[in-house]
Amino acid sequence: MDINSRPVVVKRMPERINARTAREFLRDVRPFLSADRPQLVFDLSQVAQIDAAGVEMLLRCMSEAHKRDGDVKLASLSDQAAVVLELTRTERLFEIYESSTEAARSFSGFLPNAMRQQLLHNKRSAQPAAA
Amino acid sequence: MDIRGLLLVNSGSIGEVDQPATAALARTLDVAGKSPLLRMAERLQQYGISSLSAVVEDGPSVTPRNCGLPLDVPCVTAAPDRFWRTAESVFNDMAQKGAELVVLVRLSTFAEADFEKFVQFHLDHQGRVTQMSRGQQRLEIFCISASRRNDAASLFRTQLTRCRTECPLYEHEGYFNALADARDFRQFAIDILTRQAQTCPGGEEARPGVWIAPGALIEKGARVLAPAFVGAFARVHSGAVITRCSSIERHAVVDCGTVVENSTVLPFSYVGAGLDLAHSVAGLGRIVNLHRDVSVAVADPKLIGSISAKSGKRVLSAATDILTYLPRLAWQGIFAARAQQADLQAKLRQTSPVLGDAAGYETPACDTETSHKFPNMVVARRYGHQ
Repeated sequence: MDINSRPVVVKRMPERINARTAREFLRDVRPFLSADRPQLVFDLSQVAQIDAAGVEMLLRCMSEAHKRDGDVKLASLSDQAAVVLELTRTERLFEIYESSTEAARSFSGFLPNAMRQQLLHNKRSAQPAAA
Repeated sequence: MDIRGLLLVNSGSIGEVDQPATAALARTLDVAGKSPLLRMAERLQQYGISSLSAVVEDGPSVTPRNCGLPLDVPCVTAAPDRFWRTAESVFNDMAQKGAELVVLVRLSTFAEADFEKFVQFHLDHQGRVTQMSRGQQRLEIFCISASRRNDAASLFRTQLTRCRTECPLYEHEGYFNALADARDFRQFAIDILTRQAQTCPGGEEARPGVWIAPGALIEKGARVLAPAFVGAFARVHSGAVITRCSSIERHAVVDCGTVVENSTVLPFSYVGAGLDLAHSVAGLGRIVNLHRDVSVAVADPKLIGSISAKSGKRVLSAATDILTYLPRLAWQGIFAARAQQADLQAKLRQTSPVLGDAAGYETPACDTETSHKFPNMVVARRYGHQ
């Protein structure tokens, strides 16, 4: 049963994220971040280039969301974004999903993401055995 | 018998020419301290083919003096449209100067051939041109009778794709690397460091499996775990970890706290502080990630930058660093809070200092419960020999 009534904001990130576009993006999402328990999903499917300022902005958004008991989740990471997040050791800080829909749905779930993935994995591996 | 060697390097046969790191590979980029071109030249010389010439295609890559070859090996650079004509004229020069046989090697692949047997095979078959093969694949390594100029001309004019007459094939049985893309380039470094190939890393073996070239600087607190290679005048800053067949090529810089795991840092490249470079070839403003099979342009010099190939600029930069060292130290001493020396385990778990305000986030390690009990366990599992 879905008991979460708060909105989940899905925001698509620009193709190139440098210091200037990161500032603009942060300005755009700040109203959502300053809400009570903000729930944001950043769609990185179109990101072709991201630099240190872009990663810093993502961490800042996450930090602000955490301060208000909310969360920022990432979805549809492009290969370029994934490589830079891995390089800067930040991919382990975020919950990352295959699609924005999955990421948005995860906010309404009760279990933490890792536990849910584990249960899903167990269920899948049990099915062939039962068959 | 007068046997000479002709080495050809051009990017025509490289599979992924859109990737500069890959395309530049064929243009004399170092792998574990020496370029494939230099390695092949050394191999030919080992087999007594001491009179060598090279023809290298002009390119934007970082090309050292004389293409990294010893100065006694004449190296001609040619524009892409004049490449084959230049190669043919170098061959004709060799023939005119008395060569009886010419061993022609195009560096599209790297094969550790037994050239003595190859030449003997050519003489035994009394052919005009003998080609080396590996199974069904024809390698671009030929033995040509220098007097057969028409056969040679035909070969050059068809870019080594067709012989004028049917040529016997000599089967290669030794080490082979296709050098087709970044994956092969990386595999070549691994094979050299793990001694799968006969060719050795450049420099001296400082510890078993750790090869250090002259002029390399490994700062106190940095760790280089075997097998690994640190090239000439490369610099590994404090807190950095180089491991799992990683190769830091000449004049490359790995900044503080960065982990380089199963990766190659190309010559004259800079890898920023506090990064995790794994399963990649990095340099020339680009990372080729082999796990994801993707090439990513990195425009941010704080992450992956380049260092000037010109020695004057490097000296100037070093002089500026020295001159500003004391004022910077004084400034930090007066205004900055004294940072406590974090242990390596903590450093490896923090986000990169290049992230400005967001630096120093604790990132979860793979097994936090164990790491509390055994502080070195995570390092041993992630970065040690597995």
